[in-house]
Amino acid sequence: MKLTRLPQAAAGAAAASLMLLTAACGSDDSSDASSEATSASPSPEASQEAPADAAPDAGATGTYTAGDYDAEGSYQTPAGTQSVEVEVTLEADGTITAVEVDPQAEGGNSEMFQKKFAGGISKVVVGKKIDELDVSKVAGSSLTSGGFNAAIEDIAGQAQA
Amino acid sequence: MHTWGFEALGTAWQVDTAAPLGDAPRERVRERVEQYDRDWSRFRTDGPVAELARTGRAALADEAGDLLDVYTTLHRLTGGAMNPLVGASLERLGYDPAYTLQPSGDPVPAPSWDAVTWAPPVLDVPPATVLDVGAAGKGQLVDLVTDLLLADGVDVLTVDGSGDLRHVAGEPLRVALEHPDDSSLAVGVLELDPGLALCASAANRRAWGDGLHHVLDARTGLPTDEVVATWVVAERALVADALATALFLAPADRLAEAFDFSALVITADGRAAVHGDLTGELFS
Repeated sequence: MKLTRLPQAAAGAAAASLMLLTAACGSDDSSDASSEATSASPSPEASQEAPADAAPDAGATGTYTAGDYDAEGSYQTPAGTQSVEVEVTLEADGTITAVEVDPQAEGGNSEMFQKKFAGGISKVVVGKKIDELDVSKVAGSSLTSGGFNAAIEDIAGQAQA
Repeated sequence: MHTWGFEALGTAWQVDTAAPLGDAPRERVRERVEQYDRDWSRFRTDGPVAELARTGRAALADEAGDLLDVYTTLHRLTGGAMNPLVGASLERLGYDPAYTLQPSGDPVPAPSWDAVTWAPPVLDVPPATVLDVGAAGKGQLVDLVTDLLLADGVDVLTVDGSGDLRHVAGEPLRVALEHPDDSSLAVGVLELDPGLALCASAANRRAWGDGLHHVLDARTGLPTDEVVATWVVAERALVADALATALFLAPADRLAEAFDFSALVITADGRAAVHGDLTGELFS
């Protein structure tokens, strides 16, 4: 897959160590009930208020309520307690289209932690639209062969017949 | 940067070079990938894999030593779960040359890898054994194409076999990590330094039914279900590709006993775990 370089949109702000609002994005298949939006605390010390502008309608229906979500809280670093505000814009299909973090982490190593994901961490991941990222390659499950895809479509066609 | 795209092993490849790539090296690459397909595809009836299934014995291509070495080590480290004799198990589940995509009976375990005789270049296996090197073959071909171009004096920047790639020279490469459930999304961006390979594996994209996909535990012949996607960074694409599958079958710490690599593993509960150090961003 070849991608055109685009201006960096939402990338960069969603550092693992800073996220207070976490959404587990499922597939684009609307029947997939795994889609849900949840609030998560980065540490036991964290305090947060979420959402501010809209209530997440999640879980039972497996769909999202589009809107802007705010969260604020604090988290512990070796350099002490740091405060952070996060604003997230969520599309109805669960895609996070914008993440703003304010203020940026100050001092210490916090900024570097946004760039390195060191071994041992375990985080729930979310999806971002690839065409909004500043990347030149995509690595996924090696794209499947034409024959495989044709056979899948054939079976899908039979299932609808 | 100049880019040349071509088809190999049923998918799209791309070679990025500093200067335009001439006709002669292009032709050599085409011949090499065609030869590799003939030598290793279990979907062909005219190569050593078909001969092996028919007669239990075949002479394999020169690169078999490197390939089977990696498989032998990973067979040991995964307790037998990874095994290049898994072809008939895949066929039983419907992943056959005709793309039946319907199971034809109960899952079958692969024949034991410990029972083969490997006297290079000849491999002896039990009757009706189907060799399947799908877990590492594409990575090895990325290495072979890279080596061929470098030997030709080509200023190679990147060789990309549809997401399994070797970044040879140039600026660090920013690579989106495709969401296992949705190819329009990424779960992160990796910055890959020159001199390194990145390979990925995901169960969901090559799936054809409820719980049926191409990463099997060879001991049972059943698809795995704990891990949904992996990415591995290592020096050689052969190793990165093989480890990307092995991580479905064994923990990273175990595989690190024999291989130097970094990795990202996403499990079925949507969590990402990192082994080693990776540079980039993980969206969490």
